[in-house]
Amino acid sequence: MVSVSDRVETAVMAPKPAGRARRRWRGRLGVLAAQLALLALLLAAWEAATRGAAVNAFLFGSPGGIAAALIAAARDGTLFTDTLVTGLETLAGFVLGNLLGTGIGLALWYSRFVSRVLQPFILALGSIPIVALAPIVIIWFGTGFASKLAMATLSVVVVSLVIAYKGALGVDPDQINLMRSLGADKHQIFRHLVLPASLTDIFAGLKLTVGFALVGAIIGEFMSSDEGLGHAIFKAGSLYVISKVFAELAVTVALALVLSALVHRLERALLPWRHDLQ
Amino acid sequence: MSFARTIAGGAAAAGEIFAATDLGKSFGEDDAAPVEVIRSVSFALARGEIVSLVGPSGCGKTTLLNLICGLLAPSRGRIAWFGRPLVGTPERVGYMLQKDLLLPWRTAVENAELGLQIKRVGRAERRARAMGALERLGLAGFAGFYPSALSGGMRQRVALARTLAPDPEVLLLDEPFSALDFQTKLLIERDTARLVREEQRALLLITHDIEEAVSLSDRVIVLSRRPSRVITEHRIALPGDRTDMIQAREAPDFAHYVRSIWNELELH
Repeated sequence: MVSVSDRVETAVMAPKPAGRARRRWRGRLGVLAAQLALLALLLAAWEAATRGAAVNAFLFGSPGGIAAALIAAARDGTLFTDTLVTGLETLAGFVLGNLLGTGIGLALWYSRFVSRVLQPFILALGSIPIVALAPIVIIWFGTGFASKLAMATLSVVVVSLVIAYKGALGVDPDQINLMRSLGADKHQIFRHLVLPASLTDIFAGLKLTVGFALVGAIIGEFMSSDEGLGHAIFKAGSLYVISKVFAELAVTVALALVLSALVHRLERALLPWRHDLQ
Repeated sequence: MSFARTIAGGAAAAGEIFAATDLGKSFGEDDAAPVEVIRSVSFALARGEIVSLVGPSGCGKTTLLNLICGLLAPSRGRIAWFGRPLVGTPERVGYMLQKDLLLPWRTAVENAELGLQIKRVGRAERRARAMGALERLGLAGFAGFYPSALSGGMRQRVALARTLAPDPEVLLLDEPFSALDFQTKLLIERDTARLVREEQRALLLITHDIEEAVSLSDRVIVLSRRPSRVITEHRIALPGDRTDMIQAREAPDFAHYVRSIWNELELH
């Protein structure tokens, strides 16, 4: 038996001093205050310009009009139902697209042959603008939830596939050799090394594709629908109610922010070793 | 097959763990201009012995290690582990590189138990054995730390614990200490020497650090530039406790060995 080493280097991990956390929090408050001030300034300038007739409120809308449109939509409940509809379409497409994409992307790691055969097909699929598929998707899946789900999924799946595959291929070959020298079979290498090593890339993909899923769902609603934020934006635009367009856009942006915050939360919960995320 | 095994088994000397005979490796053999990395390397490793392979950079040391571990197939020659021709990757052999290759999503103890987990050792037993390996290397207090929270020397010790936890008879180390500062390096070299000598394991060390090779080893094998072959083999006889790296470096013969190996590397 070897005795305990004389000198163990002191760990770099020390408990975080309370002062530093408080200072960081204060710094974040400062940034937030500046951001709100900037937003208020922009809105005030916009409102002043439309009131002073320098800008036509009918064509460009006005913050006052947007607020009124938001209140009206909240009163009659369409604000919430539209947000819920689009949110569900986005989430479902996001989950389905990422499950399919990540699953196929990681599976391609298993067989170099299959991945080389499929490469041009994947590239071809990836270069199709998803908007161009919308008319066919409506024909195939109808005007309801299914077509929006399909659009959101299609917007996600190729990106997610490529990211997962690249992540799996990016694993250090020395690490794979180490696993092999420990006697690991391909399945164990995948489970203990490739899958967790790809998670960093996969989560980067999730953050990216949550936005893509939303765009896909909204395009689907533009094409043909009777509810959802895309439907509301399209209808308001056709009727020249510009303030209402902006109001629904603001809700869309808020929805996007909430969804990416959820993904970020999930990443932090599932990747506890990533100190840079904490 | 059984006949070949009998021959190989009969040929193995008592206590011999590993033997390479006329080992050679070329890459791109199907191409018009194959690259010959290793021409002919023969050497053996016995129980409880520390042997170093030294050579100039780019002499195919890492290729040689991958051949020995069965990660690459040789173009020529034979490899025998425990008197039997190598099939797949050898059992009871621990492998460690300059890069610690710790998995960042596993804590120190989870990294140390990786090999046992792959061998499907039960949860409680593998945890206990991994903790034992960490304790022997003075890391018991850091078992729950992620690698990102450990210093370079500690990470390399965790890698050593991962190598030791499955209780290998043989350690194959490829420049494992070259990224460490001098003091940390000497301490880990000492720990490694003790683990090998006191528990009758064998160690094959691949290094370009001549002083490290001489201070640790019983034999130093000098390899030529690419395509590599064995130039000489030095039997290192230093007095005193061979786990004390400072004492080894202070021995009168130490400088003599280092100089003659240095000269051979210069010439070839």
